[in-house]
Amino acid sequence: MSSWPDEATVETTDVPGNPEQSTTSEILTIDPALIAEARRSTKVDVAQTGFNPALGRLPTIETQGYSLNTVLDFVPSWTARRIPMKCIGLTLPDGMEFMPPKLDTTMTSDGTQLRKIAPPKPETSEPVDPDKPRKATRIKPPADALSLQDRLFYLLQPPLESWLAGQELIMPFEPFAYQYEGIAWLFARQAALLADEMGLGKTMQTITAIRLLLRSGQAKRIVLICPKPLIPNWQREFKTWAEELPVVTVEGNGPRRRMLWTMPGIPVLLANYELMARDIAEIPDDEQPKFDLLVLDEAQRIKNRDSRTAEVARSIRRRRSWALTGTPIENRPEELGALFEFLEVIPKAASPDLRQLSKLAKKYILRRTKDLVMKDMPPRIDRDAELELTDAQELAYRTAEKEGVVQLNDLGDSITVQHVFELVLRLKQITNFDPLTGESAKLERLMADMEEIAASGGKAILFSQWTKTIDWLQPHLKEFNPLIYHGGVPTKQREPILARFKAEPDKHILLMSYGTGAVGLNLQFAGYVFLYDRWWNPAIEDQAINRAHRIGVKNPVIVTRFICKNTIEERIDRVLREKRELFQAILGDGDTENVTLSMNASEIFGLFDLRARHKDGSKSIGPKPVKAIADAA
Amino acid sequence: MSGAAKTDPLRLGFMETMEVEGRGHIGGLLITNQNGRPLEFQCTTPVKPNRTQEILFGETLRPWLLGELIGCTLLDRVAIKPSLIVTSNLHLLELRNHTHIPVACTNDARTKIAEQGETLRIGGNILRFHEAHGVDAELLSKQKHLLPDSADLAEPLERVREALAETIKTVFAR
Repeated sequence: MSSWPDEATVETTDVPGNPEQSTTSEILTIDPALIAEARRSTKVDVAQTGFNPALGRLPTIETQGYSLNTVLDFVPSWTARRIPMKCIGLTLPDGMEFMPPKLDTTMTSDGTQLRKIAPPKPETSEPVDPDKPRKATRIKPPADALSLQDRLFYLLQPPLESWLAGQELIMPFEPFAYQYEGIAWLFARQAALLADEMGLGKTMQTITAIRLLLRSGQAKRIVLICPKPLIPNWQREFKTWAEELPVVTVEGNGPRRRMLWTMPGIPVLLANYELMARDIAEIPDDEQPKFDLLVLDEAQRIKNRDSRTAEVARSIRRRRSWALTGTPIENRPEELGALFEFLEVIPKAASPDLRQLSKLAKKYILRRTKDLVMKDMPPRIDRDAELELTDAQELAYRTAEKEGVVQLNDLGDSITVQHVFELVLRLKQITNFDPLTGESAKLERLMADMEEIAASGGKAILFSQWTKTIDWLQPHLKEFNPLIYHGGVPTKQREPILARFKAEPDKHILLMSYGTGAVGLNLQFAGYVFLYDRWWNPAIEDQAINRAHRIGVKNPVIVTRFICKNTIEERIDRVLREKRELFQAILGDGDTENVTLSMNASEIFGLFDLRARHKDGSKSIGPKPVKAIADAA
Repeated sequence: MSGAAKTDPLRLGFMETMEVEGRGHIGGLLITNQNGRPLEFQCTTPVKPNRTQEILFGETLRPWLLGELIGCTLLDRVAIKPSLIVTSNLHLLELRNHTHIPVACTNDARTKIAEQGETLRIGGNILRFHEAHGVDAELLSKQKHLLPDSADLAEPLERVREALAETIKTVFAR
């Protein structure tokens, strides 16, 4: 049995080293009543074995003091710091610097009357209404621009309206909305075929896109190839639309031309197809010039992909290829294939089918017609003047036709398309005038119309296939002071003739050949067009008509086609009309102006109910207008 | 480039931010000359605040994230330093507290202009400046003759937004 003391002491020991706690021990006196209670509660009945006397001892209780921690073991901490991030950068190339143009440019040489952009004013009292939507044509990245940098480059360019109206790029006249779209489309493309209908401003759109490429540093060296007669036209248009651009024309003797082709630092080089074909082929491979952009104007010139011109054009080293033509298809859809090969969007010598051509056309061709974009443009009024031959003409015609057909039949299997073609030409010439008597139903009608036109102070353009017809007409039209413009007129004299026709009020009629006058000229001050005889291909006729019916025209243009009834002209017209619809599927609906086949050999034979004797019945015949241009040049 | 541009290298910065779903915000800075022709563009990778930052920053999260974090990064990265930074996002005005370059907010229709702060009209735009840096309006008014009268300072911001959308589509959406 344990024994408890009467009173107990408890010694407390402080934690050493803690200044707040005393190091002294103190004796605590325990209440005897508590001791008695402890004795009762700790009383243990154990056997008196003598082995566990410790159980009877009062436990010694010691207390120890501890101070509270001032720093916690875990404290959530956070410091504001920059989150690391990466940047994607794009430095845009420096543009080319030019001398600023004169600010007083107000006139175009072709008399185009368009609204002039007002020069910037130092202050404005009429603030721009921010809620009013502004016209903005943005440049979109092309589908084939894959890298982010390339796509951002186009996206970050300013809207064309503000770019061109800015102080850096003064435009003499404000382009139409569709022209802004055309410029933006061209600017962003490595391969492009601008096929706007004649008269919608392909030249201006191309020059402006070239200007933007140079100014944005996307191109430093550009070459533009065009038919020789159009060189002055391009020079004039460059001066009008981009006066600050230095344009150099490839001309002169061989060494000089070679120097021009290869000399660096010429932003825009202008050359004709003939010199291109000749000069480029003569330059050794290691000296071949390299261009940032090659532009082919009247690109139908390379429609025959095996021609020397086409081969040389394709061989020129360049980064971008643009083609311009109002008639991407003159005869056969395969001609588009030749243009796509030049644009390097199909493999060499590939022959895409109609479906593929249509798909490629959607991607690489931009074509607008006047009907679509110039709704407020004065209309072109076509009228077919169906004429009865005069008696003398009738006699001559029937005799010639009868004899001709007999001769053709006599030829038997030796007949060729050339024989038939010669007869067609002979008959067409008789419909123009009878060579024996000089009688002409067309001339009678023309004189009647011209009297009315001259009386009202109007001007007319007359187109014929033959320079001989034009020369024959000149004395008959003397009272209207006719001017002549065809391949027989020296190149240097042509521009003054056009200037006289425009400036002199008594010059009422300009007699032109299709080959020389059909392309590239701006004659929108003429309100009347006569097609004295029909060309083999209505696309060429349209080109001719559009010399007068183009942007800037103020009044309707009246087009008169002379067709002699019951003659070869009527039959040819019918065949060509029937073929107009075939290619609309390629260039889209609503394109009623462009595509028409010229006649092939089978169709020529069919004019006289003859059957083609040769396998190559699809061979195209007839004078080629483009060649005619070259010959005339 | 005109002679005036040679002697006066006024450069404008246009800064915008955009949210990439699930990945945070990206920002873009376009540097142009006074006629709006682009000279340099920088954009950031997406940055997303974590939950702690969202809680601790509270209402100051966006000014910090867009103005300080993204804005300062972009401004550091561009080689061509602008004379003025224009934005349509009020939160980006915070950038002005971290740079000496004036920062102005346009009265874009999508953004409500704050009631405080100095304003300045340039062309068709009313610019609002950081309320603590009202002197910017005065400084800029002395330079505004260098900008074409037809200048539209809101238009380049649209280009930046398009460029950011293109970047998101091309790079970050993969």
